[in-house]
Amino acid sequence: MDKIIRKFTMRKYLRYYSVMLGSVILMFVVSCGNRTPHSNSDQRNKSATDNSEQEAVENYHAGSDLAGDTKPLPIYGNWHNFTTKDGLPSDKAYCVRIAGARVLVGTHDGLAVYEKGKWTTYTTKDGLPHNGVVSIDVSAVTGDVWIGTLGGLSCWSGGKFETFNQLNSGLPNDLIYCVICDQKDVWVATAGGAGHYDTYSKEWEIFTEKNAPMHEPWTYGVSAGAGKIYIAAWGGGVIEYTSKSKQFKDYTDPDGEMEIDLLPDDGIVHDVTTATSWANGYLWVSTYFGLSRYDGTHWKGFFDHDCGLASNFINFVRAKGSVVFVCTDRGLSCTNGRSWVTYKKNDNNKDGMAVVLNYGRADDDTKNKSTREIPLSPSISHNFTIGVDADGDKLWVATSQGVSCGQLLK
Amino acid sequence: MKHDYRLSIIMILVVVFSVSSLFGQQPKQNYGKATDEIFPYQRYQKAYKYFFLEPLNFYGAGRDKVAPKDLNEVRIAFLGPLEGSVIVSLGKQMLQGATLAIEEANKNGGYSGKPFRLMIHNDVGLWGAAANEVVKMDDEKVWAFIGSIDDIVSHVALRATLKLEIPMVNTGDPDPTFTETNIPWAIRVITDDRQSAYGLVNQIYKKDGHQRVAVIRTGSRYGRVGIKIFSETAVRVGHPMIIEERFMEGEKDFKTQLERIMATKPDAILIWGNATESALLIKQIRALGFKQSIYGSDRVVSQDFLKIAGSAAEGMVSTCQYNPDSDNPKLKEFRANYRKRFGMEADVFAAHAYDGMNLIIASIHKVGLNRVLIRDVLTDRKTFQNYKGITGTKTLDQTWNNIADIWIAKVNQGKFSFTPAVPMDNKQRISSKSADY
Repeated sequence: MDKIIRKFTMRKYLRYYSVMLGSVILMFVVSCGNRTPHSNSDQRNKSATDNSEQEAVENYHAGSDLAGDTKPLPIYGNWHNFTTKDGLPSDKAYCVRIAGARVLVGTHDGLAVYEKGKWTTYTTKDGLPHNGVVSIDVSAVTGDVWIGTLGGLSCWSGGKFETFNQLNSGLPNDLIYCVICDQKDVWVATAGGAGHYDTYSKEWEIFTEKNAPMHEPWTYGVSAGAGKIYIAAWGGGVIEYTSKSKQFKDYTDPDGEMEIDLLPDDGIVHDVTTATSWANGYLWVSTYFGLSRYDGTHWKGFFDHDCGLASNFINFVRAKGSVVFVCTDRGLSCTNGRSWVTYKKNDNNKDGMAVVLNYGRADDDTKNKSTREIPLSPSISHNFTIGVDADGDKLWVATSQGVSCGQLLK
Repeated sequence: MKHDYRLSIIMILVVVFSVSSLFGQQPKQNYGKATDEIFPYQRYQKAYKYFFLEPLNFYGAGRDKVAPKDLNEVRIAFLGPLEGSVIVSLGKQMLQGATLAIEEANKNGGYSGKPFRLMIHNDVGLWGAAANEVVKMDDEKVWAFIGSIDDIVSHVALRATLKLEIPMVNTGDPDPTFTETNIPWAIRVITDDRQSAYGLVNQIYKKDGHQRVAVIRTGSRYGRVGIKIFSETAVRVGHPMIIEERFMEGEKDFKTQLERIMATKPDAILIWGNATESALLIKQIRALGFKQSIYGSDRVVSQDFLKIAGSAAEGMVSTCQYNPDSDNPKLKEFRANYRKRFGMEADVFAAHAYDGMNLIIASIHKVGLNRVLIRDVLTDRKTFQNYKGITGTKTLDQTWNNIADIWIAKVNQGKFSFTPAVPMDNKQRISSKSADY
């Protein structure tokens, strides 16, 4: 009798268990079906990882770029990574600038210069105002190196460092988030305003909310292009300054709200901007909320959910020709506005991949859209990318844990 | 058999609901606890992109960094207005609150026998000086810091914080945009002006039934940003403010602005400013014979305000980020210890600094001396979510902003009395969060 009861009970429980298991499976299937397009494409892309790096590149054809030609997006591989073990003063690299045969890297603990396969470090002992080097640019006119540090601006010329700070010059603040050279002019972005230094007249000008259309004087990025200066103003969007007429114009998020972007492509995606870069007639603007592009008439927004952008959290952008390199917290993305290549490192080893997204024809997004993953071994040294520069067939990336140099794959 | 089927249906329902809670989306609350009625554009247009739906992670390196072994103290920094500012009195309260937390932690053995040391930094709003102070903190090798009250200072420090990767706990700046910058290195333990504005709008228009509200505010960023949310929310509930006048910090005579306000025949006035100017204003408003309701921003909740305003303050209504008269035994103990140690009553900035500093100390005890790990534990929204501080429960949203309920403070017989602010009705919630493009 006990046996019969046990059997009956067991059968009953088995039935309930089957129903429960079936429901769990059903809900799991439904929940998988509701995953984002990104997740689905991630699944699809896994099948494409078997190809070798070179073979994958040979099979790759990018869509038309901004200018309408069919030039493919460059893909970089054969990555070489550098850390303190290789001679860097710190693994934490803030910026990188290619200057002819030299590569200048700003780190938390000094300026590192790579030349002929060797690293040389410069610190406060050599004349830098602070060891934390945040931004670097090289004057095309004089070849002087301008170095923005956590404690002042430095001009490295003729082997000597000349320091500019709040006490001995018109520098708005000693923490230089960005420095650029535009002909004879040097511009800096600081939390005390944007500073302009005329290297001929040796005069400083400071632009804040008092004399420019900024909401606040907090500036974090600056770039130059076509006779204009583009200042990334935290909370104030982008401030455009026309050098000739000395006139300002500001570009802000049209919806005026921090928690949303109301309409796509209606303007800059968010007012909290982090960097600007101009090339080929396009202004690129990075934020912690996505990427924007301006062609002088129309704005275009890019988010990680609607294109190949690695993440909306963007530390820095640098445009070179028709390509812009986007330093995000989850990899380095490159785009011409239609096709995308994102370099990512695996979490558990030194390898990674270049994720290539092509949208095909410019007149129809739906045709020829393809995603591919090109395996890279090794990949970039870390996914938290902070600075980037490209020149010739080299791409250098400053990351949270080292510096990487990639070679253009033919 | 019938019994079997019924049981089966119940089991299926139990499984379906439990599984949907595992894999399905939880009903989302609008950012900032906003009702659909007051969420931007929500009644007319869904946004292409909603931010702050999920907390941002910090994907940078540094979690494996080992703390130096030769440390003989554990440094935590303080950034607040201690000189050269109109809010020095608030800064001193904040410093004292932080100091008390450090002293108590050291009485309990510090961290692994090493004492905590407070590295004190004065903030000045001019020329981004707070950025330089954060650089100094990095040079001093602090593990985290609290700061500040002034919103300009807090923003400037926040950006430097991201660069230098130092965990920041804000204890005194209620500017909503502070945490809306998406920087994953800061949390805020004081309830922000967004909640104050929602509370005031509900109180003024829906509970007290006013329709013609005039606003006079400080021209500083505190007034500009603080009133923005109030103004937008008032419009969304159908009552745009009828006039907005401004004054400068330190101004004493408001005759011109008040003449313009009185000409609009308001049925209530809202003052958004520091304690001194607000107190002078309320005296001058009452002197003009205005007998109707007057409301104020959070900074009026102070002894300074009551002292200067005197009887003119009677009936004034404001908001406060906590209830100083709460029965919370920890708060009572803190207030007694504070009085004994510093010879004065603790204010809102002292109490929140005490809570903020204790959070940092608890984080260090939890994960050790590593800035990224301290950041991780402060922002994981698990370890310290709903932390019971002396100022109440700390509930951090996706931007790590404390969205705890706000209190309504009303002057009654020369003292503030506190009641919980009634939340706005949220019957018309909109469930979908994506627009079709």
